[in-house]
Amino acid sequence: MRYAAIEQWSRQQSVLHRRDARAKIGALLAFLIAVSTTAPASRIAFAGYALLLAAAIAAARLPFPALVRRAALVLPVAAGFALVLWFSDERARAVALLEKSFLSAVATLLLVATTPMPELLRALEILHLPRLLVLVIHFLYRYLFVISGQARRMRLAASSRGRLQFRSAAGALAVLFARSWERASGIYRAMLARGFSGQFPALAPPRWRAADAAFFIAAVLASVAVRVAL
Amino acid sequence: MHIPDGFLSAPVWGAFDVLALPALGIAARRAQRGLDERNVPLLGVMGAFVFAAQMINFPVGPGTSGHLVGAALLAIALGPAAASVVMTSILAIQALVFQDGGILSLGANIFNMAIAGVLAGYLPYRLLAHAHRASAIFLGGVLSVLVSAAFAFAELAASGVPMPRRLLLLSMGFFLVGALVEGAITLAAVGAMERLNPHWLRAPEQKTSPALRWIAAAALLLAVAGILIASRYPDGIEHLAAPSAPAWLHAPLAGYRVHGIESPWLRRSLAGAAGLILIYGACLFAGRLISRRSA
Repeated sequence: MRYAAIEQWSRQQSVLHRRDARAKIGALLAFLIAVSTTAPASRIAFAGYALLLAAAIAAARLPFPALVRRAALVLPVAAGFALVLWFSDERARAVALLEKSFLSAVATLLLVATTPMPELLRALEILHLPRLLVLVIHFLYRYLFVISGQARRMRLAASSRGRLQFRSAAGALAVLFARSWERASGIYRAMLARGFSGQFPALAPPRWRAADAAFFIAAVLASVAVRVAL
Repeated sequence: MHIPDGFLSAPVWGAFDVLALPALGIAARRAQRGLDERNVPLLGVMGAFVFAAQMINFPVGPGTSGHLVGAALLAIALGPAAASVVMTSILAIQALVFQDGGILSLGANIFNMAIAGVLAGYLPYRLLAHAHRASAIFLGGVLSVLVSAAFAFAELAASGVPMPRRLLLLSMGFFLVGALVEGAITLAAVGAMERLNPHWLRAPEQKTSPALRWIAAAALLLAVAGILIASRYPDGIEHLAAPSAPAWLHAPLAGYRVHGIESPWLRRSLAGAAGLILIYGACLFAGRLISRRSA
């Protein structure tokens, strides 16, 4: 399954994997802002951003083709809008739109491919995102694959019985809802039985080291340098 | 319709990040107040359900099919505040794990779908469910998609993405069909859920303040007027939105001017960073204020 790849990547070991999630979030935002505010005509700047990302992928020891292929998921949507721009005679902006959306997708992917989801969410909680929201994202991510699997099996069963009618599709949706609801109450009871206190305990509390600060500053400086100089 | 990064201009994504994050804080507070602790896993699993429900195809006409978007269904089942939190989590996971929607544009996407879309899906149910329940649910599904799409178009237009008239009409027609399909799916799904267990859905609240009615009527009127104006004068919106965005829209981003710095590039990056810090500060401040008030 495609999404399992990210989960695997995020559990590997590398210099980038070891950095504190907060440093990586900050670096990502700096990079995205730099890309977002780059003028469409500055071709060399986009090449510079691509080089920065390539260096980061190499440092994270992630498979280059697989990562690029995944980030390319953003290209169909971007291509649609790029066509509109192209035929409105804004060629430079059309190309820049493709470059910006693709580079941003690679950068975002780099964050989730080097940071396990629990660590990332813990960092967001430390950065004062509403706790309820962080918890809900946490549960959503954990049960996404379970319930998707259930939906996939239901779809397979339905399609082997023939074409699904509108009403029976609604019935399938309600059954999926019922199973999800039951699963949620089961999960809650199981968690209570194991002493859940309303917070996920972190296995290792995040520690901000000098290397994290150095990485963050280097990433910001590199993004700004490409943005300013090229 | 998830807007990826690279589509929106800096003032637009900045403004919507500033707008969406405090609104999200309010929604999270309200949701937490309205629910007991056991609902935290429930909300997460409901998000996973909406995600997975997109795999169930509803046949619509020959050879085509639609799927649930879910804002209205969630709002009816969980209430608007909790539905906003769940929709936001879905958008966050889609942006992070599935490369569907951007990070800087997450505020805009949250505003379109998790705040405006959820409210548009819930208001008809809240206001009309006593008079005619089925049409209220249907209308909620329709409006949630229409309102989200209208905001997305407005944001793209404000970012200077050209919208030729014919293309705009075409995509509006497309979204109108999609909205009607969402209404039908929401209605059918709610009906099927009620047959399984009527306790899953929240009963619409009994008392409705007249103020809320007026707000809803005004919002509906504005939306319809906006669509009419947009379809008649698409060039008008571009003219209105693109070159002459109001000054206050730029002001939170320090107007791209940080004094004493020569390079315009550096200036803009600094202004961007300042804007982000400002967003973060605004959210912290709003969060404190809300928690103090509700405590």
